[in-house]
Amino acid sequence: MLKLIKEIIKYRELIWALALKDLRVRYKRSFLGFFWALLHPMLMMVVYTIVFSTIFSRKIPNYAIFLVSALFPWTFFTQSLNYSISSIIGNSNLLKKVRIPKSVFPVSAVLSNMINFLLSLIPLALLILLYRFPFHQTLVFYPVQLLFLFVFSLGIGLFLTTVNVFFRDVSQIIQVVLRAWFYFTPIIYILDFIPTKYHIIFKCNPMYYIIDGFHQIVYYGMIPSTTSTIMSFIFCFASLLIGNFIFRRYQDTFIYYL
Amino acid sequence: MSRIRFDNVIQRFRLIRERPDTLREAFARLFHHRTRYLPFEAIKGISFNLEEGETLGIVGRNGSGKSTILKLIAGVYSPTSGQVLVNGTVAALIELGAGFHPDLTGRENIMINGLMLGLNRRQIREREERIIEYSELGEFIDSPVKQYSSGMYMRLAFSTAAEVDPDILLIDEILSVGDVGFKKKCMARIHDFNRRGKTIVYVSHSMNSVKRLCTRAILLDNGVIAAEGTTDQIADTYLESIKSRQKEKTGSPVREL
Repeated sequence: MLKLIKEIIKYRELIWALALKDLRVRYKRSFLGFFWALLHPMLMMVVYTIVFSTIFSRKIPNYAIFLVSALFPWTFFTQSLNYSISSIIGNSNLLKKVRIPKSVFPVSAVLSNMINFLLSLIPLALLILLYRFPFHQTLVFYPVQLLFLFVFSLGIGLFLTTVNVFFRDVSQIIQVVLRAWFYFTPIIYILDFIPTKYHIIFKCNPMYYIIDGFHQIVYYGMIPSTTSTIMSFIFCFASLLIGNFIFRRYQDTFIYYL
Repeated sequence: MSRIRFDNVIQRFRLIRERPDTLREAFARLFHHRTRYLPFEAIKGISFNLEEGETLGIVGRNGSGKSTILKLIAGVYSPTSGQVLVNGTVAALIELGAGFHPDLTGRENIMINGLMLGLNRRQIREREERIIEYSELGEFIDSPVKQYSSGMYMRLAFSTAAEVDPDILLIDEILSVGDVGFKKKCMARIHDFNRRGKTIVYVSHSMNSVKRLCTRAILLDNGVIAAEGTTDQIADTYLESIKSRQKEKTGSPVREL
């Protein structure tokens, strides 16, 4: 893990350039260009709010804010996985010439989505203003939550991109898994809506704790519970530890499968 | 000072034969214990040493392992067994298109490439104009490289590598896609590079250019060093071996190359 951190520091300029490259390629040739980074979350916000507020808005006041405060982090998570999964295969041209730590590719993939995510906070802030909802003081903990989210996504991303080099089916399977995972994570609803006997299942889900943290900070204005924070930390650490281990174990053989 | 050292290097590939690319195939393989790949040794125990300022030509037929050696030096492959020691920064002109992202413009690719080769952003900015000027790409530099012709790709690759100013320069055949004018320019640049004490490994099928550029050469055959010596000797041996091989096959003499 120390190695990973060293590589990130040493190759920070390259990682940054690759992340910007990802973004540039994403928005290239679209008429609105970078504006999509703002427009896309706004449209998503509108669609999800309209669809789900008919079900939940009576039970959850200011539903749009509740929803969006967790939906955007979730989108970051799924996008990060999608981008990091293909980061090794997608950059095979770059890998064929120079020896560079291969971790720069998944790291930059997650980073580019982080930039995108940070831009989506602008629509979120506008929404809060629009609803005349308070900006809670607990927002100072937002960076901590971001770090959890980033590290967790990176760990899973490192793992998935490794497996995907050898079995390209992973990028297909993961779409279905993420869809199911979305509904099993209290993003659009509150865990209390679920009968207590099932709670144990939800509490095995790492994203439950991370998403709960975002809800607490932005929507409830509460500091996330100690359990939530500790669990987030453990899951993040485990995710990065395992992902990094697997990635490092196989990275030298990637080139033969590209 | 030794720049490149190969100690009994073996490079084995798995030649793809219905490689289990999907989980289903992997499962199928669990049940039928059949090997679905052929182990293939591209390099079978090669040793050599290259000192600072030396120029080495590598010749041999297609598939004899030339490019594999370059990729081992570049660190793209790690040897199956044996040791590859490389001392100094390496820039490689290997496959056409390697090192470039097709969707980015030439200018953007210069940045990514420079960073990968170990320069920092400021250093690349300083050299950017020189690279563009040298490549003679003009306004194409701001078009995505997927629209480039082979020659343009090569121009960009060579210009970038030359400006990075590495200790070791690896060149694989790709110069051949350049037009006469640019090729001449490249050759001059490579000579100049060598005069400044840099190390060059050059792979080519053109014996003339190998002779012009290199002092030493090795002839590869089927992953082993078949002959080693001065470029003149090796060029002769190589041409002889081709001729005799063709005679064996066709039974008739071949016309002079």
